[in-house]
Amino acid sequence: MAANRRLRAVPASGAVAAEHLLRQVAHGDAAAFARLFDELSDLVYGVIRRVLRDPSLSEEVSQEVFVEVWRNAPRFEEERGSARTWVLTMAHRRAIDRVRSEQASRDRTDRVGRRNQERAFDAVAEQAELNDEHRRVNEALTTLTAVQREAVELAYYHGYTYREVAELLDTPLGTIKTRMRDGMIRLRDAMGVTR
Amino acid sequence: MTPPPDIHTLTGVYALDALPDDERESFEAHLEVCDACSQEVTELRSTAALLAEPVCRAAPASLRENVLLAAEDTRQLPPRTTPAVESIASRRVPVWTRTLALSSAAALVLAVGGLSFAVTELSSRIDELEVQASQAEERTQAMSDVLAAPDAEVHTVAGDDGTVVNLVLSATQGRGVFVAEGMASAPPEHTYELWVIHENHAQPAGMFNPDAAERITHTVTGDLANAVAIGVTIEPEGGSPEPTTEPLMRIDL
Repeated sequence: MAANRRLRAVPASGAVAAEHLLRQVAHGDAAAFARLFDELSDLVYGVIRRVLRDPSLSEEVSQEVFVEVWRNAPRFEEERGSARTWVLTMAHRRAIDRVRSEQASRDRTDRVGRRNQERAFDAVAEQAELNDEHRRVNEALTTLTAVQREAVELAYYHGYTYREVAELLDTPLGTIKTRMRDGMIRLRDAMGVTR
Repeated sequence: MTPPPDIHTLTGVYALDALPDDERESFEAHLEVCDACSQEVTELRSTAALLAEPVCRAAPASLRENVLLAAEDTRQLPPRTTPAVESIASRRVPVWTRTLALSSAAALVLAVGGLSFAVTELSSRIDELEVQASQAEERTQAMSDVLAAPDAEVHTVAGDDGTVVNLVLSATQGRGVFVAEGMASAPPEHTYELWVIHENHAQPAGMFNPDAAERITHTVTGDLANAVAIGVTIEPEGGSPEPTTEPLMRIDL
């Protein structure tokens, strides 16, 4: 990967804008909140929709996430990551929590087994126009080994726990942990993420 | 020899939100005390957030209006402030009790073989303690002595109210050091009592009461080689020869 690409982990304009907007949101600025929404809503909705699949459920959870962003904006700590990371972490976590609460009453092993037959692993090549950032992430994903990428995608996009991934792939837990960590470290380095 | 702690390899799993709920809790407790993991998690979380890019998708138009209306009706949380000592001290025991009581699932046990990591982790912990605590030197010495033992084991337990307990034990030396932070004082006319728990009985290992800063360092002595757990109960002032209440905390060895 060319050195100059490593310099920008996140598109500078977007990152600065989101941080700036979030600081204003922390002061109760509703207009800034609307702008922050416009900046991040497609990403938030996209990731939640990818995990949950169901459109109306995804919309509901997206709304919860944004209300949480509004509520918690005064508690955002910049030193722990960018505004974008903060919001997307919350979005993914919410989606996962929803998956788990929906699954709680079912036999999870059974379910995983069934899914195994339906779709073992579909690569991320969805709709959405290819913007720059999108292209960079896809490119970075190709630096992962096939098994690392599979483990990362099953966790992040399908919302499986690492235990479920291990079960699905019939692979020891320790191996899955390592694949996820090594895969994420590679991705981090390929994207030049520093915090 | 205890195997090296592979809890540190969970950073990737955690950043992907792929830890089951109970393990997530334990790992978050670990993050409180492990700077290396905490740094790595911060980076990997930012990395995970980038995975949203390829699945970016136009949000339904109705979402915007609903979100903005909902925000209008929602009060924002106040920013976090650094708590004054008084307000921490007023936190009550029961919260902690509920969290830690006998819950091995919620407890994080770190058994450390290769000690280098634990030493770094604990010395940074000790560094912090030194700043604020009056008996810091004594504590550091006691802990380093035990840590120096070839069979030293470190156990870390954290409650969701911020109580963090570090326990270093050496069976061959027959002693250990119990360090708690964020632990409220015992109720009036009561004390905490520590127990070395064996298959059939519990051996008293001294009483303690956290100071105003909610810290306590207590040296544990006893037959640790045959112990199955270390427990803490609340006892009437002056202590008891055997536990009279259910343990608030039990650290399985």
